Amino acid sequence: MNENESNVWDFNRRDFLRSGSVATLMTMLGGVELFAETNAAPGSETKKVKVKQKVAVIGLGTWGREILNTLAVVDEADVAGICDTYAASLRRAASLAPGAVQTDNYKTILDNKDIKSVVIATPTHQHKEIAVAALKAGKHVYCEAPLASTIEDARAIATAAKAAKQQVFQAGLQLRADPQRYFLVPFIRSGAMGTSLSAKAQYHKKQSWRATSPKPEREKELNWRLSKETSAGLIAELGSHAVDQAAWFFNAQPVAVSGLGNLTLWKDGRDVPDTVQAVFEFPGGVFLTYDATLANSFDGDYAMFYGTDAAVMLRESKAWLFKEVDSPLLGWEVYASKEVFYKETGIVLKANASKSVPANAAQAQESPFSNTPLFYALQVFLKNGIDISTQLENATTMFGPDDAEGIAAEVAKAQAKRRPAAGYLEGLQTAITTIKANEAILSGQRIVLKPEWYELG
Amino acid sequence: MKIRKFVACNLLILLAAGVSAQAAEMTKLNARAGSKMRMEGTSNIHDWQVEATLIGGFIEVGPNFPLEPGQSVSPGKIEARGDTFIMIRSLKSLEKDGKPYSDKMDEVMYGKLKVEDSPRITYHLDELTLKEAAKSKDAPYVCEAKGQLAVAGVTNQITMPVNVLPLGDKKLKISGTTTVKMTDFKIEPPAPKIALGMIKTGDEVKLIFDWMVGPRTQPAASASK
Repeated sequence: MNENESNVWDFNRRDFLRSGSVATLMTMLGGVELFAETNAAPGSETKKVKVKQKVAVIGLGTWGREILNTLAVVDEADVAGICDTYAASLRRAASLAPGAVQTDNYKTILDNKDIKSVVIATPTHQHKEIAVAALKAGKHVYCEAPLASTIEDARAIATAAKAAKQQVFQAGLQLRADPQRYFLVPFIRSGAMGTSLSAKAQYHKKQSWRATSPKPEREKELNWRLSKETSAGLIAELGSHAVDQAAWFFNAQPVAVSGLGNLTLWKDGRDVPDTVQAVFEFPGGVFLTYDATLANSFDGDYAMFYGTDAAVMLRESKAWLFKEVDSPLLGWEVYASKEVFYKETGIVLKANASKSVPANAAQAQESPFSNTPLFYALQVFLKNGIDISTQLENATTMFGPDDAEGIAAEVAKAQAKRRPAAGYLEGLQTAITTIKANEAILSGQRIVLKPEWYELG
Repeated sequence: MKIRKFVACNLLILLAAGVSAQAAEMTKLNARAGSKMRMEGTSNIHDWQVEATLIGGFIEVGPNFPLEPGQSVSPGKIEARGDTFIMIRSLKSLEKDGKPYSDKMDEVMYGKLKVEDSPRITYHLDELTLKEAAKSKDAPYVCEAKGQLAVAGVTNQITMPVNVLPLGDKKLKISGTTTVKMTDFKIEPPAPKIALGMIKTGDEVKLIFDWMVGPRTQPAASASK
């Protein structure tokens, strides 16, 4: 959600408590799974009419192809263009987007008036030029996270996005569009875990991150993540999501960061550490510890949030609550499902289990949010893009193109009702935090993060 | 023969002049920003409401139409004709507090309204009658409108009370409320079967609108001339 926008989708404590009446019964069992609620629509047996939008993907590496795979199952997506400067990448992606325009020049995509939205998945240091040009061309832009590898570039993208009042800009901080996490925000902020103490997140995977090519110049291009010149390292490329998630849940930006890093396993000429750890200090003495390594796979990727009464664990799209024995009874946990983790019992936390009058029992029994956070992020991006484009087209038709004031007023109404997702401000703030964290890791110094850095004039 | 031709010619000229004078007296007002169309309905689980913020179209009015606040107009028929519409896809379901409700509900609604065949809900104004002149400069003129409402490919004649509030500079807020039945437009009220029973949606739908109209905005360059 961008700054100054009224967030009509915001949860508040009353909403949370109201929706928790049945779920109250569910928590007393041990570890409780948390699900998000859905609204049952009267008439859901009727034919549903979905609207599609033409979208292009720029940057077709491993992640770009993952985006294409995901768009293939997003109803609102009509993939009309794919772009990569490397012919082999373009060929590999072609089968994932049959019928789409193929080009090695992103400007061809931007010149195509039928394509309303673009997803930018190029190397991070190339985001700025394309994102700013795409916004200038009137496209809705989904820019992968981190937004940029320098603060200047991230600020330039955010500034261009802020100026684009009749478009959607979404930062690729996909967890912000995940209904499961959206459900958890009021849970954590309501004090259900007691007083917040700290958070911990990690990404462990034994992998080199190195790609090979018979051409040395191509190999250098492919391995942009391994050079300090073009990459802010593991903390930015892997840690952005966890850092943003903590800032979201704590509703604050960190005030300082310190870190350590070493290059132990992959001494192949790279100058980016393969193992890093950073501590982000938040207001009120709460902190997040993040560690990432490319040298060990144990325990994969997860996040923990600790409070005086309970802890919450998040893995992929699932969450569990671990209560302290002396914590007060929330009520809903009594009938919640439980899972055992070694000597701990996790209460399954899932959105939708707390609906007091489920209109559709089948829906209530199973979490409807079983897709990946990337799926939800891209779907929200396209739905918001469709709404804004439709409102703009309708207002222009109805008032005439000369009524700029009237058109702007109507588009602003639609902007205020956008579905929740990471906007340019969250993208900028996370880029600043992780780029500074990388500086702390490389220098071994604690860096104070000034509040004014997080503002966009 | 020459005299007959002369008379006929003059008659035609007079007739044409009369018609053009009449046309010149009509004022065309186009849709402007700030409109709202709301539909409210019921079901056995909760009431529902949807809204659109864009109402398109135009209205052409004669000299006896109250264009400015406080204008003196006598009750009776007012010369007016117009066509207005909303795009079905601009309708969005809402919670009671105005928060967006559900994309799924919207998709069902678009299906029920047959958006692919009839993307617009249209209204054609046939007749407007002033029932009560404005009691003050800030008060509306109370009228009765007769016209054709077309929804999902089915057209019905409806008569409804409307308030016309002149806002100055020939800008108007035209407001109204009326109730229609889904079945009158061959729309079956949704009644999905669910495990816990049946959801029943009420047949009646209340339509509430505020339509803003005014002279079309001129391009900035020509306006400054």
